[in-house]
Formats: sequence, structure tokens, C-alpha cells
Amino acid sequence: MREYDIVVIGGGLAGLMAAAAATKRGKKVTVLSLGSGTLTIGGGIVDVMGYLEGGIPAATPSAGLLQVGDKHPYKMIGRPAIEESIRFFKEICEQEGYSYIGNLDKMQWIPTAAGTLKPTCLVPKTMDTTELKKADKVIVLGFDALKDFYPSLIAKNFKKIPAFAQKEYEVVMIDPKLSEGRDVTALDVARWLDTEDGLASCIEKMRNVVPSGSVVIIPPVLGTRPNYLVKEKLEQALGCTFVETASVPPSITGLRLRTMLVRYLKKNGVRIVEQAIVAKSIVEENNCMAVITEGVDRERTYYAKSFILANGGFYGGGLLAEPGKVIEPIFNLPVEAPTDHELWANYSLFSSEAQPFAKLGLDVDEKMRPVDADGKVILNNVFVAGRNLRGYDFSFEKSGNGVAIASGYQAAMSV
Amino acid sequence: MTGPGLCPVSFISFLKRGIEMQKTTVVVIGGGATGVGILRDLCMRGVDAILLEQQDLAYGTSSRYHGLLHSGGRYAVKDAEAGKECIEENTILRRIGRHCVEQTEGFFARTHLDDEAFEGKWVEACAKVGIPTIPISVEEALRLEPNLSPKIKSVYRVPDAAIDGFRMVWQNVASARKYGGRVLTYTTVIGIEHSNNQVVGIKVRNTLTGEVSNIACDFIISAAGSWAGEIAALAGISVNVQPDRGTLIAFNHRITSRIVNRLRPASDGDIFVPHGSITILGTTSASVNKPDDTVPNAKEVVELLNIGEALFEDIRSYRMLRAFAGTRPLYSADPNATGRGASRGFVTLDHAHDGLKGFVSVVGGKFTTYRLMAEKVTDLVCGYLNVKTPCRTAEENLVEDTSPALMAKARLYFPAYGAELAASRLGSEGLEKVIARIQEKPEKRQLLCECENVTMAEVEEAAADSTSYMISDVRRKTRMGMGTCQGAFCTFRSVGAVDANGLSWGKDTNVLFKEFLQGRWKGIRPILWGNVMREMELTRGIYEGTLNINGAIDNEGI
Repeated sequence: MREYDIVVIGGGLAGLMAAAAATKRGKKVTVLSLGSGTLTIGGGIVDVMGYLEGGIPAATPSAGLLQVGDKHPYKMIGRPAIEESIRFFKEICEQEGYSYIGNLDKMQWIPTAAGTLKPTCLVPKTMDTTELKKADKVIVLGFDALKDFYPSLIAKNFKKIPAFAQKEYEVVMIDPKLSEGRDVTALDVARWLDTEDGLASCIEKMRNVVPSGSVVIIPPVLGTRPNYLVKEKLEQALGCTFVETASVPPSITGLRLRTMLVRYLKKNGVRIVEQAIVAKSIVEENNCMAVITEGVDRERTYYAKSFILANGGFYGGGLLAEPGKVIEPIFNLPVEAPTDHELWANYSLFSSEAQPFAKLGLDVDEKMRPVDADGKVILNNVFVAGRNLRGYDFSFEKSGNGVAIASGYQAAMSV
Repeated sequence: MTGPGLCPVSFISFLKRGIEMQKTTVVVIGGGATGVGILRDLCMRGVDAILLEQQDLAYGTSSRYHGLLHSGGRYAVKDAEAGKECIEENTILRRIGRHCVEQTEGFFARTHLDDEAFEGKWVEACAKVGIPTIPISVEEALRLEPNLSPKIKSVYRVPDAAIDGFRMVWQNVASARKYGGRVLTYTTVIGIEHSNNQVVGIKVRNTLTGEVSNIACDFIISAAGSWAGEIAALAGISVNVQPDRGTLIAFNHRITSRIVNRLRPASDGDIFVPHGSITILGTTSASVNKPDDTVPNAKEVVELLNIGEALFEDIRSYRMLRAFAGTRPLYSADPNATGRGASRGFVTLDHAHDGLKGFVSVVGGKFTTYRLMAEKVTDLVCGYLNVKTPCRTAEENLVEDTSPALMAKARLYFPAYGAELAASRLGSEGLEKVIARIQEKPEKRQLLCECENVTMAEVEEAAADSTSYMISDVRRKTRMGMGTCQGAFCTFRSVGAVDANGLSWGKDTNVLFKEFLQGRWKGIRPILWGNVMREMELTRGIYEGTLNINGAIDNEGI
């Protein structure tokens, strides 16, 4: 029987960050992963706190942190750990040659594929808006056949944003000739640019439509690997600045971030088990002894001194919703939810209020251990991180990856 | 897109021409089954007519029901005449509506919870009105429909069929247009103009532009369904229509290949109807104050699942797509009212008896008998207009078949399964146009909506139709956004496509996003658990989290 120091359940951003922080503390870690969480959906942009209750934009992520409600995970984690976690995350990125820009004291408003701006905290350099803000003329570049990017939508809507209205926009298209009877996603274009031939061909096509000195908004396609080679080569060849937008899945920026973190973890001796469906746990007197995975072949039991539960919320399967109740499937931890299902959701999908259902989740103490309604710790060696936590609506607040990083870090530090 | 419903004179350009008044002989109010049936019948008899719809075609009850083309079995015991009308119309619609009817046949199954005594009464009543009922063994029934509960006690086969409400309405309009019929959508009636107790015109408002205009006419037929009371009130006439909300669930499985009715006195949650790859379970019944109270709730859904379990034990393991609700227009006659029509299933009210000539309301009835209702009303109106041409709506098909040559061409551009679907959605003319778009730009063959197999070219064609003003209008024409993901991926693409095509209604894309996603949300909210919840977290992650549709235009900090 092999026993680990820590078994992390979940291979999304919260789980990977928890594993990273644990190895830094010299722990022997295994990650049980089933997919990549929301990394390939929301992507590699680290939102920390964009909007407060009432839909009021926070002046800075830092200012936003001061104004969260009592049940919010940030309240439990506390300011110092949040700051440390962000610093730690940026360190990893730096070390891996894929550094992120931004800090807690500045809100970054980045362009989206819908032609809106969204407030965030940390972004890869491919989303740096410094030159975009200065430019008088902006080119919005699309790829023929890419069905998830519409440059005219961006150009038109930016004209409605006061700070962007004075700029001149030009929409240009290039044809990557990738279609050949099948559907084309941003991932296809990014893979095309990963290759030397693809990149050279793209530069040739762009040369005809993008004058030197341009600032160019493009979909997130600047390579699938966690480095800035594609961006640098393109910019060098064309004398332009490229800015990727936040966009719909599949998220290339999220893919890069995941690739980078997995590489970092493997270098640091973390074992990652893919396709691991954790079905149940063995608990003795408020301590988890092991978790058991189900697979096509057989059950496997993973023993550890501590466990980090980072298997997501409703999307990831860490929480299961039924009419009027929520189930946490591995430890059967209590989740407070209205029995009247009508109270779970607002009538309007979009409004100035967060959605009640999005805030359903597990209660924890400041060490991220699950607690009952009276605040009593239920499991001494289980620490919770990520979307299964109670009290925040990641979509509404724009706080998803920030909570993942901070809670993952805090969980690992509390072990 | 075929553009059934394309008005020869587009409403917008009509308004731009100023106060010039439109003229017609008959104005039909209501773009549901009855209204379009009347429009078609009038036009086929050579009567000039305009149909007005306050929303989009089939926006009301005609698309908010289970889509069952009744054999009449459901009514045979309680209302023999309605049962007889159903079987007759059912036979006609199978013939003329081949492209909107799926001939599934139906089962009437008695569960262990249902009264055995009713069975004999039912068989007898069906025989009396000519509805064939063929008893089969439970073993045979389970062989044909393996998902049925093995606890069922007895089963009969009946000639039920599934009918696509949207398509049926569009195809009636397409047919009417061939005979000169005109349709104005998003046009609400705000006044009935009369002189010397005779209708002379109608005052309308375009609900999108707010502009008001008049249409001169000799006759007004209100086929406004649950809204009939409100229309009559504009002329100071009382029509007592009580809207009754029925909630239904759409499942993302063909749970059954046949319609399955519960063999008991008609009640809640006892009909399952397969449509293509989905199944609809209905219905609840609750009296409501407003005809547009079509917001379903979680309690109704849970009730339906509880009841539905008697026929399909695994009902809770099937993925739901959404819940939806419509209002039945239940008519109760004022004892003092006169001028009632002959049938008990529906009622034709000639308001000449109320002192206003040239105004008729048709109320009650059901989808299955829409054609018959239309025929009766048109007979009445033609009598007044001295038009002798007989009704031919039962003889002529709604739309023509797509030629084998065109289908062969379509298969070159559509995915195999998609070609048949597209042909049946679009009709020949529309299919031709979509193929032309793909020939011009081959990448337009890509699927904009993967769930429902809808190509980019088809969405662009539907969006360019003069009756499209929002993404939901495109959805009703193409089925985009109606599958498993309920708009998670296709909303962005369709808004992008509308914008890229420079369509006039695509100016405020944020409004387009919100309108469409809110429409989807209405049906998701009451079933927000299981995989539906998972999907919703994804959808919000995309549109609220990443694209910040909610925060919209913020210029903070930049």
C-alpha cells in the first residue's frame, strides 16, 4: 500500500494550484484528474473580482476583495493568503517562460469576442492591451471559416464603448485554408500557427492586409503551447502588435495554462492520474483514510494523510443538483440549499444580482476544512478548493480563476 | 429560408411610405393554427386577406403544446362529437400535411393505477365515432416500446400522429402566400374601426417600431385564441375566454417511437409524444389571469415527472431539455349570448348578433381540428361576401414534395442526416437558396448549431427573411438553439452571423444576445438540476463570465 502525503481530487486550476503549493512545501502529491475542469472553457484569464453585488464594477481587484460578503471564500481565505497565492502563481508562470501580466491593484479591461470589455486581473502577454489603448487605428482580424469569431461584431461594438469610440476600426480576413469540408475552431488555427509552415504561410497572408505598425485584435490562436514564440515571431515579421480576445470554448489560453501547470507539476514529482473517477471515500472518525476510484477495469484505493477536494461544482461534478437539494457525492458533506426550487434562480438570466444557485456550495473554516451548519469541522484532513465552495458566483463577479488559485493555495498551505 | 410569411409589402417599407393606407377584404387576427388555416382558406377561395400576429408566427399556443395529432381517442368518451371531428381531420392532415406530420401511430396504455372499468367504455365510445382501436398484448407492446413500464395492464393501437406546430403554421402560410395572402408579424391590434355598426378597418401598432397605422377592411376574423377576449373587448364586446396554462417537458430522447396516452379519463401528465429525436410529456392544467402567463415552474415539472413515472419508470434518468407552457383558450358561453356555431368542439361567434357587422370570433377548439374550424368560419364569412367558391383546403397539399434531383443536390452539401431535415424545414424554394449560399461560400456548410444540424447558410438565409427581427425568430424557422445545449454555442455564432451579414435588425447585438438567452432560460429555470444545471454553468460561464454580456458596455478603468 502506497501512501501519499496529499491526494488532490480534481485536475482543474484549483487542484493543480493546490498540488503546486503542496510540492513547494515538500509534500508527496498525487492528483486524481477527470478532465481539465473549466480551464478549456473560461480559459487562462485570471479574474479575481470584477463586479460587486448590484452589478457595480470594482475599482481594482484589491478593492473588490474588501467588499465581498461574509460567506465568500475570499473572506475565509483572507487577504494575505490571496496575495501570496497570486504571487506564487505569477512565479510559476515566470519560471516556466509563460509570464502573466497584471496585479491586484489594477483592473484590466480586456476585449472579448462579443465586442465587450471584461474586467480581470491577470492575463497572458498575448492579451496585453497597452498598445491597443494607445492606438488611433485598430485592425480586427478574422479567419475565413472560423465559426467562433466575428471581427465585425467587435469593430461595431467597440464603437459604442466611450474609451474605444474615437478609434478607427478596420476588419480584415485571411483564409487559412483549413476548412476542407470540416468545421474549424480556434484550436485548428492555433495548431496551424504552431507549425513552421503554417506560421510562415500566415505571415505571408497577413502581410497583404496588415500594415507595419498596426495594432491587431485577433481570436486566441497564437499557438497552443505555453510560450510566446508565435506572438513574437508574428510581431517581428510584421512589425505589429497582436492582442488576443477572451473567447468562447475551446479556450486556447486555458489549454496553454493547463499544459504549463502540468509540466511544472511533473517536473516537481507530482503524479497525475487521468480519467480517475473518484466514487467514494473511507472515513474513520472525522478523518478520511482513502478515496476509491472507479474505472473500466477495477476499483483503486488511494490512501493519503490529507485530501484536497477540488473536483468542481455543478459543472465539474463535485456538486450534484436535484430538485430542492444538493449532494456532495464523495463524502456526502452537507450543502445548504432552499428546498423550494423556485428560490434557486432569478427570473432574469442577466441582471444586477448574482444567481442564488451559483452560490450553492460547501461551508468551510479558514483552513478550508468542511464544516457543518454550526461551524464544526466535519473532516479534519480534507480541504476544499474551487467551485464547490459556497458563497460566490464566478460568472457574475468575474472571480472564478482567482478563487481557484487562492483556495487551492490556502488548502495546500493548511495541510 | 422559404420565407413563408414574407409579406409582398414589407411592413417597414410600408410605414416609410407614410400614411398611405393598406386595404384588404378580410383581416385575420392571430398567427396560430386557426388563423393561418383561415388565411389559407380565404386566399384559396379568392378572398383578399391579411393576417396579423402580435409576435412571431406560432409564437402562442400552436407551438406551446405536445404536438399530438389526435386520433380522437382522448375525447371519445366525454365528447363524442369532438372525437369524431378529430379522427376525420387527423385523416385529412396526414394526407395534406405530409411534411409536418410524423405518422407514428399511438398507444393507449392502462397502467396498474388506472380504473379497469373505463377501458370497456372507452373501446365502445371509440367504435361509435369510427376511431379504430386495436388491442395488443402487453408483451407485444413492450417489444415495440421497450421503455414502457412492464407494469402496464393493457394496450391499444390508435391512429395518433405527431405534428410539428411551427412547421404546420409556416406551411399553411406558404400555401396562403401562393394565393396572394399577406402576413404582418409583430403587429398588434389596438382598435377596431366601425361606422354605422359595420366594420370598416382596423388600427394596428408595430410592436418593434411602435408605429401606428390603419388597415381598411370589410371583415375582421378574430382567431386570437387565448387573446380572443382582449380583441373582442376592443369593440366593446364580451367574449369569455379563460386562459388555462398547460406546462410540458421536452426530453432529449426518443423515449418512445409511438405516442403513448394513458388509458384513463383525460387528466394531467398522461401524454408522451415523440418528435424527431425528442419526446414531449404533457400536460398540466392551471387557470391563469393572463393569456401570456406562460412561465412554467419547478413544481409543475416535478408533478409531471411523478405522474409520468407510471408509464415510463425510468423517466427521471432521461435528460430534460426544457419545460414550456402555453395557455389553452377555454371558452365558456355567456348564457345570454347568441350566434353560436354548430360544433361543440369550437364556437364561431358572429358579432352581428352583438350589434357589430363584419366581425367574427372563433374560440375554443384544438390544434387537430384547426382546418375544420377555418373551413366553418370561412364558409360563414364567404356567405356574407357572396363568394361561392367551395373550400378546397382538405384536397390540396400544404407544400409540394422536394424533387429527387434537388435532394440529390442537397446531399452534396449537407451532412447525410442534415439533408433530410433541412429539406423538410425549408421546402424546395428555401433549400435551393441555402444550397446557393453554400455553393458561393463553401465554409457556410459548417454547422452553426450542432445539436440540431443547422448549417451557417441556413441560419443566414432565415435571418435575412423579412419576418425575422430577433434570433428567436430564426430559431423558430430553423430549430437552431432547440437542442441539448439550448444556445450555449449557437447564440454567439448566430449573433455574429446576423451582424456579419449587415442585417438591419442586428444593430444592437447585446439586445440580441440577451433576448435569445433569456428565452432559453425561461424553459431551463424550472428544470435546473442534473445535467441541465451543468449545462447552465457552462452557458453562464461563456456569456456572463467570459463575454461579459451582462456587464455590457463598461468603460471603467480603460
